Amino acid sequence: MIVFRGFLKLVRSNLNVLILYLVVFLTICIAMQLLTKGESMENFQEESLNIAVIDRDGSDLSDALTSYLGRHHHLVEIPDDLDVIQEELFYRNIYYVAVIPAGFEEKCLDEGEKLPTTKIPGAYSAYYVDQQINSFLNDVRILKAAGYQGKEIYEKAGEVQEAENKVELMDKNGYGGEPAPHAFMFQYMPYIMISVVCYMISYIMIGFRQKEVRLRMQCAAMPLVKQNAQLILGCLFLGALVWGICMLMPFLLYGKDFLRDTNMPFYMLNAFAMMLVSLAIAFTMGTLVRRTEIISGIVNVISLGMSFTCGVFVSIDVLGKGVKTFAHFLPVYWYETVNEILSKNIEFTAGQKMSIFQGLGIQILFAAAIVCAGLAIDRRRGDQGY
Amino acid sequence: MIEIRNLVKRYGSLIALDHLNLTIQEGEVFGLLGPNGSGKTTAINCMLALLKYDKGEITIMGKPMRPDSYEVKKNIGVVMQNVAVFEQMTVRENIDYFCGLYKRDKVERKRLVEEAIEFVELGNYTKMRPGKLSGGLLRRLNIACGIVHRPRLIILDEPTVAVDPQSRNKILEGILELNRQGSTIIYTSHYMEEVEYICSRIAIIDHGRVLASGTKEELKNMIKTGETITIEAIVLDQVHLREIRSLPHVFDVSYEEQILQIRCGKAKHNLVRVLNYLQGKDIVFGKVFSELPTLNDVFLEITGKALRD
Repeated sequence: MIVFRGFLKLVRSNLNVLILYLVVFLTICIAMQLLTKGESMENFQEESLNIAVIDRDGSDLSDALTSYLGRHHHLVEIPDDLDVIQEELFYRNIYYVAVIPAGFEEKCLDEGEKLPTTKIPGAYSAYYVDQQINSFLNDVRILKAAGYQGKEIYEKAGEVQEAENKVELMDKNGYGGEPAPHAFMFQYMPYIMISVVCYMISYIMIGFRQKEVRLRMQCAAMPLVKQNAQLILGCLFLGALVWGICMLMPFLLYGKDFLRDTNMPFYMLNAFAMMLVSLAIAFTMGTLVRRTEIISGIVNVISLGMSFTCGVFVSIDVLGKGVKTFAHFLPVYWYETVNEILSKNIEFTAGQKMSIFQGLGIQILFAAAIVCAGLAIDRRRGDQGY
Repeated sequence: MIEIRNLVKRYGSLIALDHLNLTIQEGEVFGLLGPNGSGKTTAINCMLALLKYDKGEITIMGKPMRPDSYEVKKNIGVVMQNVAVFEQMTVRENIDYFCGLYKRDKVERKRLVEEAIEFVELGNYTKMRPGKLSGGLLRRLNIACGIVHRPRLIILDEPTVAVDPQSRNKILEGILELNRQGSTIIYTSHYMEEVEYICSRIAIIDHGRVLASGTKEELKNMIKTGETITIEAIVLDQVHLREIRSLPHVFDVSYEEQILQIRCGKAKHNLVRVLNYLQGKDIVFGKVFSELPTLNDVFLEITGKALRD
């Protein structure tokens, strides 16, 4: 096992790279999780704005609408003067002005007239006020059509608007509808796997593929098949080592949470498939690249490129259509697809099961195809002597 | 030890080896000489089964040499022209690694590694990585990696390129010592004096063919030049040069920057005849040298003086 032991000696001399990448990765993972903690819940928080209502109608409807808006926003008193209105908007003292014209009650109820409003251009929160006003006026019209009369309409409309709709996220994975916390770590894992494995294996393979070393090894009494088998064993060992460390990280960070996740074997299997892909890329890189100085650049292009286009650093959901289509041709996309399903579900539908096994299968096929390409290139370069 | 018969190797339309025939006896230090592109390296590659050849046969230690001739390979050591070691391993780890490709037994390997380190005198550098070694030490490490398994046949391809004179001398002494210990050596180099110093038999190849082979003396006897006379600080005209050229056994005369060089055939009293002529013409001259042919003369006369790639 001399070649295997030689491989391990070279792994040992590159351990600093592994440690460096792991520390950086762990730091990024923890930081990202702290930053994104509870972010999705905050998106539903209601905002109160400074708004003004200029009532030229003085009707029951205008009173009811003003009082309704007053319950949700801060009403600012301003004179009915266009210059003043514009100045207040310009200085952001108010974000929204609703002008209720004279005779609006009849026109609104009978003809469905809309309320003229003025808002700061581009202030997205002002559009919520639009929605609230439209919703209130719609309710009023519906109630009138339903037979309600006079002030009763506005009282009822107020009640309808105040009724709270309890929203609850569907809990399909035991984490209250949120993705499992360790899923984030698995989401980022392809980056570290590709980076560490490609860097280390390429570096080591360049040593073994040096023309003179390779020829000296070809001249040796040990059959080439045996030498190559030991090299492959070395690569697999390194892959298993990095995979093992990667699997240890969620245990260390999330402990019981990760252990009680029934998807744990799938997470590990998916990561293992990704590790095979990383090994395949590393093997091919080691075959193609001849100079150690360019390894770092190539590794960064591959790992960062796939990470950005396949949903490692940002969720697949927010990727553009074009990027997503392109990502289908990259193995990391299929890893992330499986990870996404695992992170949001405990029980899988038939379609989801299919997607999981499809994702795993495609990753393995990618790995096989990349290795075949590497071998073909290596073969073409053979039989050249020295 | 090695028998090469009618070896032909083509690279497309280029014939690298053209019915090459070579016989190397056990215990020899055999020099393989030839200009760049003559086919030396191709011949070595074929001997080591690193290249497929089109025709002919190679027998080493009585067995045909093929890529899977591992029993034969066990007894061959190769020292490449370029240093073939792992940058990330120490000196000892490198030697141990390459020894391990031949020897499985750990105890035996340890002993052989120690012997190789001692042989190339790298004892003080065993924990250093190759990047920290000087050119000479690196060459010695390269040699140690090639000979650590104590092969019966050692092929050295220009092992002294870019090495200082002290290290070169050390390497040459080491090669002779290996030969004394029983190894057959095949040695290629562009340094004629090295080949002349260590090789017991030499083959000069060009255009993929053996042009001449034999001991140094045999090769020197094959060429026309028997003596080269050099006379310094002399003033001559064209008439004198013509007359010198017409002296018996003189076949080449050159005169540049007041230095006269005369190449004569194998005959007695060449120098006396030339000096008598100069004295008879009252020509004043300075230092006079007379040299017997060197391997360099043999090489240039056989392969020609035209520049090669």
